[in-house]
Amino acid sequence: MKEISQRKMFDLLLHGGIKNFVGVPDSTMKHFISQGLKKKKILVATREDEAIGIATGMSLSKQNSLVFMQNAGFANSISTITSLVQLYEVPIIFLIGWRGYLKNDAPEHSKIGRIQPKLLKAVGMDSKTLTESNWKQCCKWAINKMNHSTSCALIIKREFYD
Amino acid sequence: MIRKDAIKIVSDMIGDSPIISANGYISRDLFEANDKDTNFYMIGSMGLSSSIGLGVALKNLRKRVYVFDGDGNILMNLGSLTTIGKLKPKNLVHLVFDNQRHESTGGQPSNTKNIDLYEISKSSNYNAFKANSKTDLKKIFKKIKNIHGPIMILIRITSGGKPGKRITHSPVTIKKRFSRNL
Repeated sequence: MKEISQRKMFDLLLHGGIKNFVGVPDSTMKHFISQGLKKKKILVATREDEAIGIATGMSLSKQNSLVFMQNAGFANSISTITSLVQLYEVPIIFLIGWRGYLKNDAPEHSKIGRIQPKLLKAVGMDSKTLTESNWKQCCKWAINKMNHSTSCALIIKREFYD
Repeated sequence: MIRKDAIKIVSDMIGDSPIISANGYISRDLFEANDKDTNFYMIGSMGLSSSIGLGVALKNLRKRVYVFDGDGNILMNLGSLTTIGKLKPKNLVHLVFDNQRHESTGGQPSNTKNIDLYEISKSSNYNAFKANSKTDLKKIFKKIKNIHGPIMILIRITSGGKPGKRITHSPVTIKKRFSRNL
């Protein structure tokens, strides 16, 4: 996603009632995070499962929270998602950077990138993959899910090489 | 002092302040000793009680928030100490019931026998205390009334005692009643 869309997406989610943005940085969504840092709304955790724990505590305090991470971190967090987020029905929006989406991404991302859609399906988490034309609708969909006490994921594709 | 006694003593002193308790015997003992709407029993997601407690503390500044952790639990999420130490929540009290082993899974050794969590928590900006007896524990609880968090209390416990019964509330019930009472 373009820089301007990422920044606008952050603003839309913030105005849509998300109070807290907790996670582990990912270059795929660096502009989204940069916008959040500018607005002093970002809390950086050491690991993705730690971020989910913090967001859960905030959600228990009736504050809507989003957790951002790379897909490698999502794989790290599966047990936390099943035994905390889903078990207690904690409404969290996951924003997941999808490394390994492009075939020639760095080798450490290729396997996990290939199975990312299957992982989401196996975990039973509804998700939408963001594009330049659908991101507004996707954000509204996610906020609506959260307002109905369900967790869900928004996937942001890595479409560039560095 | 066995875990069950320590948990009874501290949960009596805490009263109706929120408690987030680690999975395994710690939550079961708390449930048996003092089941309250203000207890959040984390029955899965080992390692994360201090992170959940941090989230609750940051959003409920007028309440003292207590975390009941175990040595095996905190060792799985040591990064949490650095996040807490960086944010310095004044209202967070972090208790580690340390028996130097994974008692819930059969008593296998943990690393706290060789590594000092007291030093680690001090260098992570905690006000840290060690309690080796019931008397220590009561004294420390009086003392921390006038001390800002983050506070760490390392409670040395011995193995043994019959574990508390399993928690009978459903996870969603635990969440709802905790949330309602914050």
